[in-house]
Amino acid sequence: MKTSLLLPAKYKTIGLILFIPSLILGILVRFWDVSFDFLTLRFPSANKDANTGHVDFEGLINLTDELAITGLILSLLFIAFAREKHEDEFIHHTRLESWQWAVVLNYVLLLIAIWLVHGMEFIDVMMYNMLTVLIIFIIRFNYVLYKNKVSISSNPAQ
Amino acid sequence: MKNSIRVERAIHNLTQQDLAEKIGVSRQTINAIESNKYVPSTVLALKMARLFKKNVGELFELEKED
Repeated sequence: MKTSLLLPAKYKTIGLILFIPSLILGILVRFWDVSFDFLTLRFPSANKDANTGHVDFEGLINLTDELAITGLILSLLFIAFAREKHEDEFIHHTRLESWQWAVVLNYVLLLIAIWLVHGMEFIDVMMYNMLTVLIIFIIRFNYVLYKNKVSISSNPAQ
Repeated sequence: MKNSIRVERAIHNLTQQDLAEKIGVSRQTINAIESNKYVPSTVLALKMARLFKKNVGELFELEKED
């Protein structure tokens, strides 16, 4: 089965290795406002004092949260798109079915959240929603493959 | 749709793994086909038919609901 959009199988491991520190960093940023100083970009503000030429405000952007979310998205993409060791038509079928599942479930959850979560808290929903399609896909896809493996090992004589 | 892959495999004394290797798929796929969880592609059905020296129609059979 030609599945040209997939990455080599080793990307699953790379993804898992990248996912753990990214998740820890993401949690630290989200719940403890952790930020690394070396990731702070400083730039002069456009508002100069007309008389002295003194820049009275320094713009700051900290990139810790960008780093965390990039790590999370990349690691989940790697895990989701890594080829299985034996990527054949059944795996391919399961993969497509799981994507369909993930998109539908993601929007069901989003619709529920739209009606239940209001105001600024909805920012959180949007944040988690950046990752939920990938997470639901990975769980569903691997669950089906796992269930099939279990049914194989329960019939070892075959 | 039902199939007689498990029976044919027993007649030819092949394990799921043997059959999988002969037609170039994973053992998971053979298991999913035998437990009616997955309908194989025409290509795969023809490969199995060739291996067992049968017609595809003898290996796979339509059911009422199909």
